[in-house]
Amino acid sequence: MIGRPARPGLRSSVTAAFALGALLLSVLLSVGTYVSARQLLLEQRERTALRQAYADAALVRDGLATSGTSVSEALGAVAPPAGASMYVHRRGQWYSSSLDQPGEALTAVVRPTVDGGSAGLGWTGRTDPHAVVVGIPLPSVDAQYFEVSVADELDATLRTLALALAVCAVLTTLAGAALGRAASGRVLSPLREVTGAATDIAAGDLGRRLADTDDPDLSTLVASFNQMVDALHERIERDARFAADVSHELRTPLTTLTTSLALLQRARDLGPPSQRAVELMADELTRFRRALEDLLALGRLESGIDEADLVVTEVDELLRHALATSSSPDLLRDTPGTGPGTSVRVDRPQMVRALVNLVRNAELHGGGLADVRAVAEGDHVDIVVRDRGPGVPPTERERIFERFARAGGTKTGTGSGLGLSIVAETVHRHGGKVWCASADGGGAEFVVRLPLSDTGEVPP
Amino acid sequence: MTTRVLVLEDDVALRTSLRLVLEDDGYEVAEAGDAEAALELVGGTDVDVMLVDLMLGGVDGFTFIRRARPLTEAPIVVISARDGVEDIVSALEAGADDYVTKPFDVAEVQARLRALLRRPALAQAASAPGEPQDGAAAAEVCVLDAEEGPLVFDRAAAHLRRGEREIHLTMTEYKLLMVLSENAGRVLSRAALLDHVWDRGFFGDERIVDVHVRRLRKKLEIDPAEPRTLVTVRGLGYRLDTR
Repeated sequence: MIGRPARPGLRSSVTAAFALGALLLSVLLSVGTYVSARQLLLEQRERTALRQAYADAALVRDGLATSGTSVSEALGAVAPPAGASMYVHRRGQWYSSSLDQPGEALTAVVRPTVDGGSAGLGWTGRTDPHAVVVGIPLPSVDAQYFEVSVADELDATLRTLALALAVCAVLTTLAGAALGRAASGRVLSPLREVTGAATDIAAGDLGRRLADTDDPDLSTLVASFNQMVDALHERIERDARFAADVSHELRTPLTTLTTSLALLQRARDLGPPSQRAVELMADELTRFRRALEDLLALGRLESGIDEADLVVTEVDELLRHALATSSSPDLLRDTPGTGPGTSVRVDRPQMVRALVNLVRNAELHGGGLADVRAVAEGDHVDIVVRDRGPGVPPTERERIFERFARAGGTKTGTGSGLGLSIVAETVHRHGGKVWCASADGGGAEFVVRLPLSDTGEVPP
Repeated sequence: MTTRVLVLEDDVALRTSLRLVLEDDGYEVAEAGDAEAALELVGGTDVDVMLVDLMLGGVDGFTFIRRARPLTEAPIVVISARDGVEDIVSALEAGADDYVTKPFDVAEVQARLRALLRRPALAQAASAPGEPQDGAAAAEVCVLDAEEGPLVFDRAAAHLRRGEREIHLTMTEYKLLMVLSENAGRVLSRAALLDHVWDRGFFGDERIVDVHVRRLRKKLEIDPAEPRTLVTVRGLGYRLDTR
């Protein structure tokens, strides 16, 4: 499958939209500001240039009107403002206050107007930066006066303005993005809370609910979510109750069956086929009873552990009880104990049952119990049950703790298929974990890790 | 003389199968399908031991036990599908002596009946558990509390007297007091008490001991909330202090 680029998240999209909006707005404002400011500045510059040119033209005219004064002398008598050049066109001759540029080309833009007898103003691009050109006819001295002022101040101002506006646009865009991020964060924060609650619930905390809110936009979501969890909780409880109720209803009939069977087993006048039938019934009833007890045990575990039932117990004592009912209680002698003081806080009947299940699992499915040991380390203790079987393939090691799962998918017909799931459930309820590994020298190794209880605590 | 067992169970099939097995064991069995009929049997005839279901139509098993207790001291074994700790404790506090949850193995019920019916012979009891204290075990009458009362435990007659007042003991209470008084002054663990009084030592059953100790205290102590005769030794068990 060809991987598609990941779709941007809601938060990224909102942030990008805010940034884009801010960018467009700031560009629009910047351009508007720039255009009108430029217009204003240009007009101001033209007015200044015109005023200056009239004043200078009057001086030049007065100079020329004085007899015997040459054009150069008249020009020299006038001090042009900085950056301005003066040109006089008289009788086909060009006179200039500067030698940079030929007057003819520079003043071309206004010459037709001036030739027509009126004052003209225009811009020329021949200089860098542009220059404003003012032409004034001086008919009284048969001359034309031109003043070319390079608009470098204006240019610098406009450049600064453009830069300032660009910086503003960038800042506005960034601010927009930040605002978008904050706003989307604010909008998404209830969603994060919902996500957290959903995660907790998925992890098994069915008591988790969203806190009530007086925000009218969120109250519907909160109410619906809590209702959904309530419904889910009720459903799960109903299912669990159903299993428990069914198991419960089977207790009395099963007891009747086993009691009646006990009577049959005592009968001496049964023929061999009947005896065989009684044996089969006995085996199946034992299996049935074990399965029922396992189902009931699971039901009890699912309804949670009562704090009041937790008792500080020495690990060695748990092992002793677990092995006492196994077919190899002698193993106890060879089991290195953890010594007094290594205690766990457990519901004793439940934990013993779980350990008995592990021992029984080794005996029934693991080719026999190899050894049992307990190792305390740090703040926990590992109880290790090792068997003599072929071991559990790595792919099966998690699955075997599921209900009705059997290693290799085979039905051996001796267990209820619930033994190891009871182990897992019990250990998890006690804040521990259980896993299956391969033992050194073959066989499977089941490890139950339980947190050690605080030392010095003594059961009453 | 045959031992009479009363089976109070509303499920006809289970009741019948229990009767058949118990009769095969040589017991004389009286059946009752509800508490009223059972109470009549308890009041009218001699019953040595009772098997009682808790969930019955009409009057429930707890009420039956409370009403039957003043009429007889015969041990009561509860047979119930309810396996909650609170059910077990309430049944024992109501006056039951033992508790078996369904589905049970009938062999287990038979064993418990035998254990409860075994009347502790004085000579036999004196040798176990552990060495008795001088004077305490030898005497058939033992003064538990000379200061107030006095409180006297008459082992041979199986009764308790505080001053002029006679205090009634059930079979289990009697056995428990027997073991404790033989070992007066020394601590007995729950497991040891379970072993000697109920003949077994499984894990979860240790609560039976606690409940019976509580019941016994109500009869022994002036103030059961602050026991001075039957004291708890934290983390170890119980001890009987004679004064």
